[in-house]
Amino acid sequence: MEDIVKKFQNKFRKVREEMKQWDELQSCLISQFRNASHIVERLQVLQNSNNYGVLKCVGGMRDALLEKQIESFRNILVSMKKTLEKFHCIVLSLDKIHRDSRQQVKGGSYNLSVKQLQQQVGIKPSLIYCLDSLMFIHEIYNSEYMLKSSVISALSEMALNPSASDLSALQQLLVDQPNLHTEEGMFELSVW
Amino acid sequence: METLDSAISTPSRSTDSKPQTSSPLPPSALRLWRPNAQRNLRNQWSELASCKNRWFSASSAGRFQATALVNSHLSQRYMPDMKLGVLSDMPGIRKQACLKLYKRQELQRSKLLLSYKEMVGIVSHMINLSRSMKCFVKVPNNSPLLQFSYNSADRSDSVDGGDGGGIPVFTFYSITSHEKFAEELVEMFKLELCLKRLLVLEFLSIGYDTSEVKQLHWSAQLYDDEFRDLRDCNLYCEVTNGPVPPRLRDGKSDIGALRFDNQPNPEVLQVYLTTWLAEANIDTLRVDEIFAVVEEEMHVSIC
Repeated sequence: MEDIVKKFQNKFRKVREEMKQWDELQSCLISQFRNASHIVERLQVLQNSNNYGVLKCVGGMRDALLEKQIESFRNILVSMKKTLEKFHCIVLSLDKIHRDSRQQVKGGSYNLSVKQLQQQVGIKPSLIYCLDSLMFIHEIYNSEYMLKSSVISALSEMALNPSASDLSALQQLLVDQPNLHTEEGMFELSVW
Repeated sequence: METLDSAISTPSRSTDSKPQTSSPLPPSALRLWRPNAQRNLRNQWSELASCKNRWFSASSAGRFQATALVNSHLSQRYMPDMKLGVLSDMPGIRKQACLKLYKRQELQRSKLLLSYKEMVGIVSHMINLSRSMKCFVKVPNNSPLLQFSYNSADRSDSVDGGDGGGIPVFTFYSITSHEKFAEELVEMFKLELCLKRLLVLEFLSIGYDTSEVKQLHWSAQLYDDEFRDLRDCNLYCEVTNGPVPPRLRDGKSDIGALRFDNQPNPEVLQVYLTTWLAEANIDTLRVDEIFAVVEEEMHVSIC
């Protein structure tokens, strides 16, 4: 029993590391999103040849500028997809942590009884509660990952049809991370 | 325009006309020539790489100044209509604020000009580097030792064309090919410099009253000795007595229609700032490719 409790503590330590990495990726993704949406916002201004002032004397300026901006937009999209890929890795790792723990407790060498799983020692939560928490953490992060993917694909379509209000709504979604209720998710972690 | 074109074609033409196979140097001299030429090329290319990096930092410093300048200007313009809340009771608050913003704008003008000056210096240095890729063999009168020189001014008393007879310096590329890569690179930065000059002029003229704007035109010198520096870059046209007009790589320019506006609307200012940022004349993919090819050829990493 002592042994398995230690193992769970390690699992939660790993989960905490993954979350830390998630936060780093989150700020990276937001700055990428800001850069991309700056470009999208500018595109309409750049398309209007009346906005070129003295640059009108430089032949082909408008087309060259638009081409350059779209190229940078594409580059940012590519790096955002790479960031998303890393988010996905975290989700997969959280899933693995949960499945491994379940395997150890239920099917593994310990062969614990239901009573042992529900047993609560002192203020420490029961093993079954820990398992549920691991599953819950994986689920909320998975939903958040899905949300981020759809926000990014919405952004890539928006280059053709830009709207400033939609852009800021999308950015708010990315910042808020509505699927992650940190207070609930963190409760178990603080106990261990 | 003429000055630009002739600068591109002369060095390559003079070397291309030489037969690529027969070298005027005896094999023993050639054996000594090669390591010297290699060392020289490595030095020039790594200098070019550092110039490129310096350009990008000067350009982003310039963009920072230009953005700040535009913001100071717009704040001054919006000041009469700005809602100041409790502060509106303070006597002369708007006037004071405008004065302060005006002073700040003056400061940002001079900083922007410094960034531009730095970019001119970088391009001029890059041109020198691209012209110092040859390695000349010299045979001194009273010495049995060969000497090597990288300065084309010494060309007259050297015994060869400085390109080792067109043999590959490392694996594949001759001096001429290296020069062509360097010229292609330098050309992008030269064109971009002209475009930046136009933007600098425009940024300097916003907010000035109309009488002062009249004095700012394409052939005005932006700082002391600017035209001397531009001549070094081959960007001064002696025919029109002015800097070479801005254009895109495959585009034309019509400088005759140029009118500087001291009160451009915010959208136009945004286009200017975006143009500064985008560096439409610098094909970054191609720049990276050129450096990658050269690094591969010379077996060193220079970036």
